[in-house]
Amino acid sequence: MVKKLLIVTALLAAGLVQADEIPARASVIEADGFTDPLKELKFNPGLDQREFERSTLTALNVYDPFESVNRRLYHFNYRFDQWVFLPVVNGYRYITPSFVRTGVSNFFSNLGDVPNLLNSLLQFKGKRSMEITARLLFNTTLGVAGLWDPATKMGLPHQSEDFGQTLGFYGVPDGPYLMLPILGPSNLRDTGGLVVDYSAENWINFLNMAEVSSDNPEVWVLRAIDKRYTTSFRYGQLNSPFEYEKVRYVYTEARRLQIAE
Amino acid sequence: MLRSLRLAALLGGLLMSAAASAVDVDAATYGYPLTNPFEATIASTPPDLRPELPTDDDIDQSDYSLNLRPEREFTLPDNFWAVKKLRYRLARQDHEAPLIFLIAGTGAPYTSSLNEYLKRLYYKAGYHVVQLSSPTSFDFISAASRFATPGVSAEDAEDLYRVMQGVRAQHPRLPVSEYYLTGYSLGALDAAFVSHLDETRRSFNFKRVLLLNPPVNLYTSISNLDKLVQTEVKGVNNSTTFYELVLTKLTRYFQQKGYIDLNDALLYDFQQSRQHLSNEQMAMLIGTSFRFSSADIAFTSDLINRRGLITPPKYPITEGSSLTPFFKRALQCDFDCYLTEQVIPMWRARTDGGSLLQLIDQVSLYALKDYLQNSPKIAVMHNADDVILGPGDIGFLRSTFGDRLTLYPHGGHCGNINYRVNSDAMLEFFRG
Repeated sequence: MVKKLLIVTALLAAGLVQADEIPARASVIEADGFTDPLKELKFNPGLDQREFERSTLTALNVYDPFESVNRRLYHFNYRFDQWVFLPVVNGYRYITPSFVRTGVSNFFSNLGDVPNLLNSLLQFKGKRSMEITARLLFNTTLGVAGLWDPATKMGLPHQSEDFGQTLGFYGVPDGPYLMLPILGPSNLRDTGGLVVDYSAENWINFLNMAEVSSDNPEVWVLRAIDKRYTTSFRYGQLNSPFEYEKVRYVYTEARRLQIAE
Repeated sequence: MLRSLRLAALLGGLLMSAAASAVDVDAATYGYPLTNPFEATIASTPPDLRPELPTDDDIDQSDYSLNLRPEREFTLPDNFWAVKKLRYRLARQDHEAPLIFLIAGTGAPYTSSLNEYLKRLYYKAGYHVVQLSSPTSFDFISAASRFATPGVSAEDAEDLYRVMQGVRAQHPRLPVSEYYLTGYSLGALDAAFVSHLDETRRSFNFKRVLLLNPPVNLYTSISNLDKLVQTEVKGVNNSTTFYELVLTKLTRYFQQKGYIDLNDALLYDFQQSRQHLSNEQMAMLIGTSFRFSSADIAFTSDLINRRGLITPPKYPITEGSSLTPFFKRALQCDFDCYLTEQVIPMWRARTDGGSLLQLIDQVSLYALKDYLQNSPKIAVMHNADDVILGPGDIGFLRSTFGDRLTLYPHGGHCGNINYRVNSDAMLEFFRG
């Protein structure tokens, strides 16, 4: 009697388990529904398990002879960001409606397309130069001096090329890693590129901007605020005691990627 | 005879209730597109399958800081200046509303992307939201942790509880109707222990607690994560490291695409391209991110307690000093190393001994089995293919939570939290 009851309940339970478990894949192994994902992986043999350490230690080799100064500047930037820059950006966000901010960002981004065009020409990137030229034409005319960005909606996304990338394209090495005050991570080559881009912009004087902004320094302030507003990086966002090393690696690799692309 | 009959009935009943009750979502109706657990873990839900949520511009929120360990101002080196106070984020409604605490996962700060996502979700549903860092994160260890050695769940919960009380004390005028609690990954384990602590402290009387993808056996989870970086990756050889391999693929992907575009869909799109990563490569990538967390934890904990395992106790550190040599040393320390070198010695000294097995029992969900079984206010959502689980863990969840367990067939580790179906279920649970 008891045995029968037991069997019946066991069967019932088993039936329920089966009804409950509709196998998602063929690889359902465990009775409780667990599909052990690690089971399918191939692992290195025990004596050859140092790939993470090898990769990471290699990645830490970035030429950084001015590390001590750079680190101090990193902390200076961090403080400046927290105590001056971000509060100002928050104020800017508070007092302006979002369409104004978008307009400002579009306007400066349109100005930035001039050095983008020059540099992609210098690298003989035909297709990209055409696209940037089209962007400039559409945005400056249809977009009313760049306040709107109709080009992106037409499928011509913003693509940035700076003189640092052009130098990299011609094989100029990175040079020592530099932490620039306020501007953030850079290296010798890209800092040089920054200077060239800046002087080119002044020389071309597109939309009369260089002249206007030398007369009215508040344009520069607005440009700086907009730059910070559109840059999503926050000091401390990696939340690691080794943020300096990580930023340095990511910057170096990101530039390498931009140059290769 | 009669007694054995009763026993049989009881046994049968138990078996049936345990097997029948958990909510098993079946794969066909679930519709989650990423059936590969590693892909889901890395890329999470494709953007158009996420719910529509408010942007930062529509949320009334600010960051605040709590000064919980004032002595650290003097004992921590100069370059820790940014983490001497604990920061958190509060998004407030303009009317009386329930408040929900979000606890981040392993090593993650209060601003982690999942925390931000959950904030948007609950804010839209009408909650005040407080985002907290994980007790294992750099800022929490240095600014809020009493022993600065995270890993003993009950102690971490105590630290968290103080933080929560501090948060409430800082906003006495915030009109809160009741308190809720949730967390993902390790934060979910923390949430369970915090809820347990709240039963005796009674500061918040949490009305509902939701655990998202918690580790069941903490040791299984850290062993799994430690193991992920040991996968055999094709293409790694003497001249190419793993990072170079991934970056080369990324470069080629962008070259084929024609331009660089960083957005939410990038990882998903990348996996659909020809350059996509293999399972081993993805596992390695997940493992790498956790190894960086364990390096941060090992370094910070060692430095604050002056253990001398990584940083010599009297080594002068200023804002200009290079931490790279210590980074190199900390990188060699995975979770298992941190546990055996730092957690166990401290825990033994504080609790008169005990073995590794006892520690595992105390810091895992096992320690709360009776409590979790008898608390209808706590529910758990998990995935059948979560990489932090081991054999038997889901069985434990089934028998402990019964119908309060929702098991999704796919999603990897926390990959489906931002899927519309999951988000709806989460909101539904708190709605009651």
